[in-house]
Amino acid sequence: MNDDLVFKALADPSRRVLLDRLFVRDGQALIELEADLDMTRFGVMKHLRVLEGAGLVVARKRGRKKLHFLNPVPIRLLHDRWIDKYREREVSALLDMKDELEGTA
Amino acid sequence: MTVEAALATQVYQLYIKATPERVWEAITTPDLHAKFFHGAHVQSTYEVGTPIRSVSPDGMQVWADNVILQCDPPRLLVHSWRSLYDPELAAEPESRVSWEIEPMEGGYCKLTVIHDRLDASPKTAKGVSGGWMFILCGLKTLVETGEPLGPAPR
Repeated sequence: MNDDLVFKALADPSRRVLLDRLFVRDGQALIELEADLDMTRFGVMKHLRVLEGAGLVVARKRGRKKLHFLNPVPIRLLHDRWIDKYREREVSALLDMKDELEGTA
Repeated sequence: MTVEAALATQVYQLYIKATPERVWEAITTPDLHAKFFHGAHVQSTYEVGTPIRSVSPDGMQVWADNVILQCDPPRLLVHSWRSLYDPELAAEPESRVSWEIEPMEGGYCKLTVIHDRLDASPKTAKGVSGGWMFILCGLKTLVETGEPLGPAPR
């Protein structure tokens, strides 16, 4: 799984709208996903391809329908790699500062 | 639309730097399985129609007693799913779990886990939705590094 592809996919507001739609109701066909959106069918298809390429959306055939599912794993891996790490450092830096200030007080 | 309906089919997909055989081995070997699946020991002959059981680390409790629905090593494993460790979950209808392993370029394989037929099992659906993520990240770490993932998240 490529972090660059995931970050690029998430950088676009239209694609985040599509992800949020799948978060509310998973397993939607293209025709459902494009309903009430300010996007052409071609635009939705293009964005879905980028999301699929990043592994954030997985398309599955269900009978004659192609349904799109949210795959939460890349976001979790990205969180573990890029958010957890820095949050810990921030907290430990604050604790260091506290020790330092209290020690010199 | 309820949250429960949103979780009736859950799809998890990840890339693991290993051969399909190696991933299959981790899923089906009791000692390896225990390292990423809450310590559960898996017991099965992997023949269609036979049981696949999940037993607590001390061997005293049966956590799940399911049936193999499809088996094509090292590419496909499908089994029923019903949790027995909690009476509320055990009271819900059984659902289905599919493990699909596909070889990819560069020594990777793609693992797709689909947990479906959860429409009438909202408590199970809610319960497994965070659990699968932790289990599959643990499986990836185990297969790629030989070491289990750290303790469960808070």
